[in-house]
Amino acid sequence: MYRFLRLPVLLVGFFMAASSYAASNSQPALTTEDALGPQVVQPIEFPHNRHAGLHDASDPTKGGMEINCQYCHTYARRSAVAGIPPLQKCIGCHQNIESVRNKSRIVELFKYWDAKKAVPWKKVHDLPDFVRFNHERHIKRFIEQQDRPVQEACGYCHGDVKEMTVARRQKPLAMGWCASCHEKDHPVVAEGGTPIAGQAYWYSFQKPAAAQDANTKARGPNDCWQCHK
Amino acid sequence: MIDSGSVKQLAGHPFDRRDFLKVLGWSGAAVALSGCGNTSIEDGKETVVSYVEANDYMVPGIGVYYNSTCAQCDAGCSINGRVREGRVLKLEGNPDSAINKGKLCGLGQAGVQHHYNPDRVREPLLRNGNKGETISWDKAYALIAEKLSGVKGEEIAFLSGGVSGHLKALLGNYLDSLGTKNHFVYEAVAPGVVRAANVKAYGVEMPRYRFDKAQVVLSFGADFLGSWVSPVHFSQQYAQFRKGVNGQRGVLVQVESKMTLTGANADRWLAVKPGTEGVLALGIINALGIATGEVAELVKGYDRARVSSETGVAPGQIDKIAALLKLRSPSLVLAGSAAEGYAHGSQNAAAIHLLNQVLGNVGKTVEAPVSVPFPQMAPAKGNTAALKTLNDGLAAGKYKVLFNFAANPVFTAPGAFKFKDNLAKAGFKVAFAHYLDETALQADLVLPLDSAMEDWGTQVPEYMTEGAQINIQQPLMERLHANTRGMGDIVLTLIKQRRADEYKAFEDYYAYLRGAMLQNKGALGGGGVDDDTFWNETLTQGIVKLAGSTGTLTAHAAAAGLTLPAPAASDEQYPLHLIPGVTASLRDGRHTNQPWLQESPDPLTTIVWDSWVEVHPKKATELGIVEGDIVEVTSKTGSVKAQVYLFPGIHPEAISIPVGRGHDAMGRYAKGYGVNPFQIMDAVFDAATGELAMHETRVNIKKTGQRVLVVKDEGSAGALQMGRKIAARVSTDQVDLSKEV
Repeated sequence: MYRFLRLPVLLVGFFMAASSYAASNSQPALTTEDALGPQVVQPIEFPHNRHAGLHDASDPTKGGMEINCQYCHTYARRSAVAGIPPLQKCIGCHQNIESVRNKSRIVELFKYWDAKKAVPWKKVHDLPDFVRFNHERHIKRFIEQQDRPVQEACGYCHGDVKEMTVARRQKPLAMGWCASCHEKDHPVVAEGGTPIAGQAYWYSFQKPAAAQDANTKARGPNDCWQCHK
Repeated sequence: MIDSGSVKQLAGHPFDRRDFLKVLGWSGAAVALSGCGNTSIEDGKETVVSYVEANDYMVPGIGVYYNSTCAQCDAGCSINGRVREGRVLKLEGNPDSAINKGKLCGLGQAGVQHHYNPDRVREPLLRNGNKGETISWDKAYALIAEKLSGVKGEEIAFLSGGVSGHLKALLGNYLDSLGTKNHFVYEAVAPGVVRAANVKAYGVEMPRYRFDKAQVVLSFGADFLGSWVSPVHFSQQYAQFRKGVNGQRGVLVQVESKMTLTGANADRWLAVKPGTEGVLALGIINALGIATGEVAELVKGYDRARVSSETGVAPGQIDKIAALLKLRSPSLVLAGSAAEGYAHGSQNAAAIHLLNQVLGNVGKTVEAPVSVPFPQMAPAKGNTAALKTLNDGLAAGKYKVLFNFAANPVFTAPGAFKFKDNLAKAGFKVAFAHYLDETALQADLVLPLDSAMEDWGTQVPEYMTEGAQINIQQPLMERLHANTRGMGDIVLTLIKQRRADEYKAFEDYYAYLRGAMLQNKGALGGGGVDDDTFWNETLTQGIVKLAGSTGTLTAHAAAAGLTLPAPAASDEQYPLHLIPGVTASLRDGRHTNQPWLQESPDPLTTIVWDSWVEVHPKKATELGIVEGDIVEVTSKTGSVKAQVYLFPGIHPEAISIPVGRGHDAMGRYAKGYGVNPFQIMDAVFDAATGELAMHETRVNIKKTGQRVLVVKDEGSAGALQMGRKIAARVSTDQVDLSKEV
């Protein structure tokens, strides 16, 4: 065999092996696998479970309050970045909840408020600067257009936050993982046949396939520039 | 393609070192790629700070827009700043302003770099030997009061750049409280001579020019598209002028000895011998042949042959311009900085204004300006004559206390003034400064100022368009540094030292400004509106538009007293004219420390981050100079060394060095880049106004033997195509247009 073919053959072989491995990997399930991030120490140990967790019918003092994620994380549906709720938000409720006023975390909270200083929270979900994830688009799609439960929609990326105290990263948040959703079949046309969100442009490249249940389905937007702008 | 020979040669060889390295390279890349996973996500490392209290409109990631006023030059363009997460990110023009109509020039865009500049002064500094020691504001104020006590009014001087609006009024009151009349307003690059000539010819310092109504613009060195008076506004007028009245495209003729940005846009560009602009203007009047009486008498001697030999403009060109001006009316004739920069600058300007008069343009394309009904807020203007008076006073040791604000005379004063030495004779020098520039470095006390994006203020532009306007300057974001203060706040505190009772009602300058505006609510168009609504609307709009009062052009350009000197005899020792180049982005050099401006290529030479000496290619051949040669440019006053750029847009008897660079202070982006031609300027003044004749310095140039590669966009990196035919070209004599279409 000609020697000059060796290297290409080597590389092609390597590529095929890699792709066959990828192909044999079946489509991921709806709930993606977990990849726990590090436990992050926060200035105040905020109990997500107490705020967002489910009611405990037997003992109302133990369970959660089922507060909608969007009540506090109000920026997520308005902006690309979710931001952190202003301190004012915490105080807005807690100034009227006398029962927990003397708990150490709440005392700490009011110390910040009285000094009018921001709480130096640590960022738990951090994407590299070359990735532009847009919260608003995802909430518009899943919560407003598809009417999915808020905790489910947020949980696609943030995991089961209602079970956590301080939030911890539960999903890999790496590109391959993003693409695992963006390649799944899902409806792309809302009721009345309107293309959902701003995807009309993308559809012109790739016609959505009509699925058996007569719902037009397609992959999520997966052009490079959707995230890497 | 691998030919059969190489295949034979390669066949049969074992897997060698090169292949090994290739595979190693690929696998290395593969490892690197697989590494781009979770490893780049840094959970729990960065702090994410939220607002303590947030207004409803404050959403992270969403911009909020505020209107304010650009402070990069005094044209008074209104700006609209994008603020996100409490930080100003981008400036654009405010579409509501009649001056800039939503546009903003590069200089204005760079305003954010003034604000975020890492070399801003952050604390009040008191001189201790060669060092500045940080002191508190209270101590600084106390020190000023101490130094002022017992000092007579005439021993106090206040030097400032152009100021207007409420700050000017307040500053005036402060100087009044000190009993001093020594307010020296100094702008190094300002149309001082033209203003005086305008008063004589039109009765106003700055009439309103209507480029949009003109069919021909004949500009004698007015760089109205680049750096003259109100360039953003003029550029828009110019666009209308080019579209034309009734479909007839306007024609621009530019007369100057060094090509400016405007000259580069002209239909006809005429290089005149430096200083002979007035002669050409009179020659054109003569060629027009429509003047009568005194004027005809005056221009009688300026026939084609004489004008041509004095100006170096071919007789045919003079006829062409005269014919063009006759054919198309109205036209507009402008006298710019190139015409005014001589000892007979006023006479040059007067001759040019006379041409306008003869052509009947006054009242058609030269209109009376509108003015703000509050004369105390009108801009204080000044040029180098004011600095000369101050300099003479300093040399005589007249001043015990000197304040300096928004001027950098140590950098911009002509070298012949020896300003730095004279400044040392002032007793106590206070500088209100954004940066430690050359002048602030000489001060005894440096007080750090808020940036234009942190400060409150009002501004009244010198050149107004449709109706009068007062521009509002408001903070676009919180202070970056805790210990800087607004100039208004400082002056208010200082005036409280003298007149506590009068000003005790105003807690800060904001309160003063608000109070003063509300007091005149009716006159400012807020009659019948409640205070808060009026104030909020004013801040939202960023502009207060007033009907203003339009005067009439009272004076009349006349031939009386107009005498142009005979052509200057050639100087053996200093044969060349030095023309200081004023560029659109650097102006007088107060913004040189904004790296975007250093990085923006000069529009004509494409040079960045450095100074250059423009030499005509013919002159260069004569002197044996090529591009990149370092030459020493020597005048009677001093010398500088810089790289040569061969430029066909300069008169062979002149050279040009751009002003603005050559700082030896002012921070990392300004210090040490280029040379400062102000340093070698002779003290020659316009006879009528006493302003510095900036173009009068004569120089000679000598090769130093060094040569550098000129850093510029044109040339090997840009224009030379290395045989790749990116943009094919063919000489005009070989073009067959019928085949090209």
